[in-house]
Amino acid sequence: MAEIELRSVVKKYGALTVVHDFNLKIEDGEFVVFLGPSGCGKSTTLRMIAGLEDISGGTVRIGNRDVTHLEPKDRNIAMVFQNYALYPHKTIYENMAFGLRLAKLPKQEIEKRVAEAAKMLDLQELLGRKPKQLSGGQMQRVALGRALVRNPDVFLLDEPLSNLDAKLRVRMREEIAALHQRIGTSMIYVTHDQVEAMTMADRIVIMKGGVVQQVGAPLRVYDKPANVFVASFIGSPEMNLFEGRVGGSDAVVQEMRIPLGRNPRLTDGVEITVGFRPEHVQVGEGDLKFTVNLVEQLGVQTLCSGTCNGLFMRIMIERRDDLKKGDVLSFAIPEGKLHLFDKSTGSRIDQADK
Amino acid sequence: MSGKSTIYAFLGVGLLTTLLFVVMPVIFSISLSFYRMESFVGVPEWVGLQNYVSVLSDFEFWRALASGTIYAVLSIVLQLVLGIGLALILNQSFVGRGLVRGVSILPYLLPTVIVVLTFKWMVDGSVGIITELLDSFGLPDVRWFETPSAAMMSNVLVSVWMWTPFVTTCFLAGLQTVPDSLYEAARVDGTNAWQRFIHVTLPMLKPILTVVILLRGIWMFNKFDVIWLMTKGGPLGSTENLAVMSYRRAFAQFDVGGGAAVATLSFLILSFAIFLYFRAFPLETD
Ligand SMILES: Nc1ncnc2c1ncn2[C@@H]1O[C@H](COP(=O)(O)OP(=O)(O)OP(=O)(O)O)[C@@H](O)[C@H]1O
Ligand SMILES: [Mg+2]
Repeated sequence: MAEIELRSVVKKYGALTVVHDFNLKIEDGEFVVFLGPSGCGKSTTLRMIAGLEDISGGTVRIGNRDVTHLEPKDRNIAMVFQNYALYPHKTIYENMAFGLRLAKLPKQEIEKRVAEAAKMLDLQELLGRKPKQLSGGQMQRVALGRALVRNPDVFLLDEPLSNLDAKLRVRMREEIAALHQRIGTSMIYVTHDQVEAMTMADRIVIMKGGVVQQVGAPLRVYDKPANVFVASFIGSPEMNLFEGRVGGSDAVVQEMRIPLGRNPRLTDGVEITVGFRPEHVQVGEGDLKFTVNLVEQLGVQTLCSGTCNGLFMRIMIERRDDLKKGDVLSFAIPEGKLHLFDKSTGSRIDQADK
Repeated sequence: MSGKSTIYAFLGVGLLTTLLFVVMPVIFSISLSFYRMESFVGVPEWVGLQNYVSVLSDFEFWRALASGTIYAVLSIVLQLVLGIGLALILNQSFVGRGLVRGVSILPYLLPTVIVVLTFKWMVDGSVGIITELLDSFGLPDVRWFETPSAAMMSNVLVSVWMWTPFVTTCFLAGLQTVPDSLYEAARVDGTNAWQRFIHVTLPMLKPILTVVILLRGIWMFNKFDVIWLMTKGGPLGSTENLAVMSYRRAFAQFDVGGGAAVATLSFLILSFAIFLYFRAFPLETD
């Protein structure tokens, strides 16, 4: 077990920089998720930690060792790939034992470790099969098993669930989380699925265009997104965001005025981006008027999209069976649920009630 | 035309051509082997198995079988080793890769006659470039066609030169289907490059390799043009294989029945070898 530290890590392909000045310290046993849209550099960063990709600048440390220039096998890491990457011609047992054999471990030790991992992941029945004879979920468990037997300092997982169907994904998510709790080894997990990130992570690292946008616990990131990008990326349905300016004690977006409440006195006329989450509006209070356009029933909740003063937005409320197109609801945004960002930089304007 | 009758029409054409150009000549040639026939115009005379008795008791038959097998095995092994090695190199990324890939297939595209003539010029005693090169290094002249082993070596050399590109092309195509993540998983597992070749590349390309060896085996065992153009089976019949022998008997010695018997035996031997090969390496994976 070990801490992992990335210091000013940079990745360049020729003139193109795809990861900029990446700094992160991962505590021993932590579950960290790299989250971001496609092409933001998540995999590249993970692969630099794994040693599969050369590092153009900065250092990577695992434990007290500088591993920046070490081969993957010398970093004591284990990796789980999106397409599982099991050796198709080897049995499940051999797939898991292969790395240990190469490391010249004694036979009994190999058998013991594979048996333990197989038990933990419920693979005992499958050890004699070839990967082709397994389902996607089983293959993913074998991939985890292959990582597990190595006793690594850190598990690196690159979108391990994205080839599975929705239901299986939820189950494997729980299994991986349970596995992490049980063995307590650090894990770095790459995904572009914010639900996976929110549910599994101790801390989320949100990236965009090769730049880290925010690092923090899931709820922290949800409650206090550091900038407009994080605000819109985290949370489903997406946060309602509008560009406007400060007008007295209100945020003014075209015709719509949203009271700023106890928010810090901002200079009149300052240009801001203002946002609130669909699930945070309180219906039946306040002066804002929402006109329903589309109703989506989610079961416990009802998601409505529509307009307020001609501006498109979504609100999510407790289940209501009676809503239909054209209905008008009055709503308010409670204290502290309003997010303000500097319009030009996109960064969060910190609130007084911090 | 409905879908079904289209299928039958296409199948029919295929079957008919196969019948006309493959099955009929084979049957014809096999049946010839039971007749004495001194030319294609005379009246054949039924002799039963006598042609076979005479061929099988002829030392030249066994020599041709041995020499043909040695030639086939040597040239296949060399084609495979060189072809795979070349494919691995051409699969790396380097500047001008496309050009090198294109040039490397050239020998395969040239007609055999051209390749053989080029080789003969290159080793020509007075103007050959290889002869001059050997000279300039102070090495003794090689008598390329004069001793049995040198002639065999020359035949193998030209065959390898001509058909290695075929192996390279097949293998290169296969290499591109191996997912990178397998190599990466193997790197994390702690393999070196050689172990990755053994544990990832080879098993992944086993189906291709099986087919390539089979095809090359059939072609090299039945090879006629290279040997005929290079050595005519000489010196003293030492490089003659069954194909050349069959031709020589039928068309040079006017023993059509004997030639047909050699061809039939060659066909049977090859079929048996292929049968054994498939037993050892079944085509379906896992
Ligand atoms: N070999 C390469 N040469 C040039 N650019 C590359 C290379 N590999 C990746 N990139 C670029 O680096 C950026 C980051 O790629 P990366 O694979 O890390 O994205 P990602 O965040 O994992 O995306 P995804 O969610 O789609 O997997 C992308 O813009 C990609 O185009
Ligand atoms: Mg990726």
